[in-house]
Amino acid sequence: MNPVQLFHLEERKNRFRSPSFFFRILLLAFFVFTPFMFRSFEVLDVILKIIIFSVLVASYDVILGYTGIVSLGHVLYFGIGSYFVGIFMGKLGLTSYGHLALAFLIAILISGVLSVLIGLFSLRIRAIFFAMVTLAFMEFTFILSSQLRSITGGDDGISFKLPGILAIDFSYGKFLGIEFTGRLISYYLILLLSLILFLLMLRFVHSPVGRVLQSIRDNEQRSTALGYRTYLFQVIASSFASCVAAVMGGCFVIWVRYVSPDSSLSVSIMLDVLLMVIVGGMGTLYGSIFGAAFLMVTRAFLPKLQVIIASLLPGIPLAIRLSERWLFYFGLLFIVIVYFFPKGIVGTAQEIFARRKSN
Amino acid sequence: MNLKWKRWFPMLIVFAIFLSPLLGINPKTYITITISGLAMGMLLFLVSSGFSLIFGFLSVLNLAHGALFAWGAYIGFTSFNLINQWTGWGGSNSIFLNFIIFLLALIISGLLVALLGIITERSVIRPVYGSHLFQIFITVGAMIVMEELIRIIWGPNDEVMPVPIKFMGSWDVFDVVVSKYPLIAIVIGFILYLVIFMILRKTKIGTIVRAGVENPEMVQVMGHNIYRYFTGVFAAGSALAAIGGGMWATFVKSIHPAMGGEVIVFALIVAIIGGLGSITGSVVGALLVGLSYNYVAYLIPKAALGITMLLLVIILSIRPTGLFPEGT
Repeated sequence: MNPVQLFHLEERKNRFRSPSFFFRILLLAFFVFTPFMFRSFEVLDVILKIIIFSVLVASYDVILGYTGIVSLGHVLYFGIGSYFVGIFMGKLGLTSYGHLALAFLIAILISGVLSVLIGLFSLRIRAIFFAMVTLAFMEFTFILSSQLRSITGGDDGISFKLPGILAIDFSYGKFLGIEFTGRLISYYLILLLSLILFLLMLRFVHSPVGRVLQSIRDNEQRSTALGYRTYLFQVIASSFASCVAAVMGGCFVIWVRYVSPDSSLSVSIMLDVLLMVIVGGMGTLYGSIFGAAFLMVTRAFLPKLQVIIASLLPGIPLAIRLSERWLFYFGLLFIVIVYFFPKGIVGTAQEIFARRKSN
Repeated sequence: MNLKWKRWFPMLIVFAIFLSPLLGINPKTYITITISGLAMGMLLFLVSSGFSLIFGFLSVLNLAHGALFAWGAYIGFTSFNLINQWTGWGGSNSIFLNFIIFLLALIISGLLVALLGIITERSVIRPVYGSHLFQIFITVGAMIVMEELIRIIWGPNDEVMPVPIKFMGSWDVFDVVVSKYPLIAIVIGFILYLVIFMILRKTKIGTIVRAGVENPEMVQVMGHNIYRYFTGVFAAGSALAAIGGGMWATFVKSIHPAMGGEVIVFALIVAIIGGLGSITGSVVGALLVGLSYNYVAYLIPKAALGITMLLLVIILSIRPTGLFPEGT
């Protein structure tokens, strides 16, 4: 038995005993019981967005943290997923379960093919080209989606209704004092899909392919020397991640029931995703949950903070302007985190635990 | 194919694209469109040459370039207005005074943004040389901060960019409409190209910079403080972005804080097409993009952006490193 297999065996044995296992169960339980704990829609909305974005950020982390290539257009696939669901449900008016599934399937297929194509002609040269080409493609799709009014509804976007039990006016009756509306059923549907995708990604990064990806990240020349066609593996990782992003895009519009270029295809979402990855920690899938939670919660509280600042400092226009521009502080945070905590929340925590263990 | 022919092959492509739309457009309109395409190309060249130089020499993917571009436009806007209040040259009927106020505004914005570039390079980018990943994050952070600073200082709304009186309107040359400002933009862009090209080719600084693109360690061994040149190139790139910003704003007659983000994508595409780190490549790439964009925008308006992407895909598949090698 070789050392790698021994390591796996050891890992497998301690699987259900480690403290992080209980932590994971707790986290899942928290998401499952959220609707019972918080009755207000606003809180539910924030928590569902945390779920969606943590899976999106995790899929981005598969490219960035595990493969070591920078994509600046990951939101493109999120947008493809959103738009296909939006177009099928809203523009074509095909509100049935079959068509919803079909929209997801087509979105996954197109995202996969597109990312393979982009990867094939840009990763071949230098990994840095990938960043530029993906950014260009995302910007191109953004403009396309606001120009093709007849298909995408232009800047106004598409709002739509969902079939059967997902519809907003559907009600299943009361259960444990909570009314099971279409909203709540979509919450659980999205939670289930997110969980499956998250587990799938965990499986992916710990599979043999995932190990090769990490070796490429750590030392590309060496993995080439070991006989791996590195750029094919990079293409595989990027297409896998983009398929996940496409599904999450579909889930996102199932929740908000609206799709527009600004809400699901813009550069600002890409910036959010980048910040979440950095805050949570690159190369740790669980970090994405913390990153998404951090950003979403801060963003939910910012308007209240602005009101407080405006009431504390009345009549000083510069102070109000400074308080309005919270993106400015996010930009500063970006730089500060890259300097001082390049490993993010989870990475830093892991480092501390590892150091304590070795002492 | 012999070597000489190969060298001129990219030029032939340019001319082929240059002439092919004549089949679908009548010649007079063609000239008008060509001039505005060339002007757009020259403006793109100003943005992308700075970007391309910074990437070629420092190997930094400077995503904050768009924000520097927007800063250039805003500083140009403010300085133009201030000088105009003071002297009234912008509204005077003498084209000479118009030129002077325009150039003064450009020079001021170039100098101030070069300063901003130096500050950025020293404080944020210097610590992350060598790591593309962190450079991208840092420059994205710098981009957000700079863009938000514009919103804090000048306010988040669109502003109307003032244009010198004599720059507006057009000439009528044998029934062909020739707009004035695009012609001025072409001339200024071409002069700047020649200046940069001469600096890179004929001066000692240029030689050191080109050598630094090839082999930074060797340049250091020869006793040149390469970090000083890094800062210098970054400042020059920022100044080019600022001049491009000021001229672009005068071209479209409006400025808004997010204007950099829209142009940076064009700059990226131009820089990739021309070859990163090549000034001639930037010119050729920019003219290719500018002309093809304008022709297609006239023939099939909705496909204009598509042709730019198509150009990128074609060039990346036949010449993965761009049309021209680094350092030319």
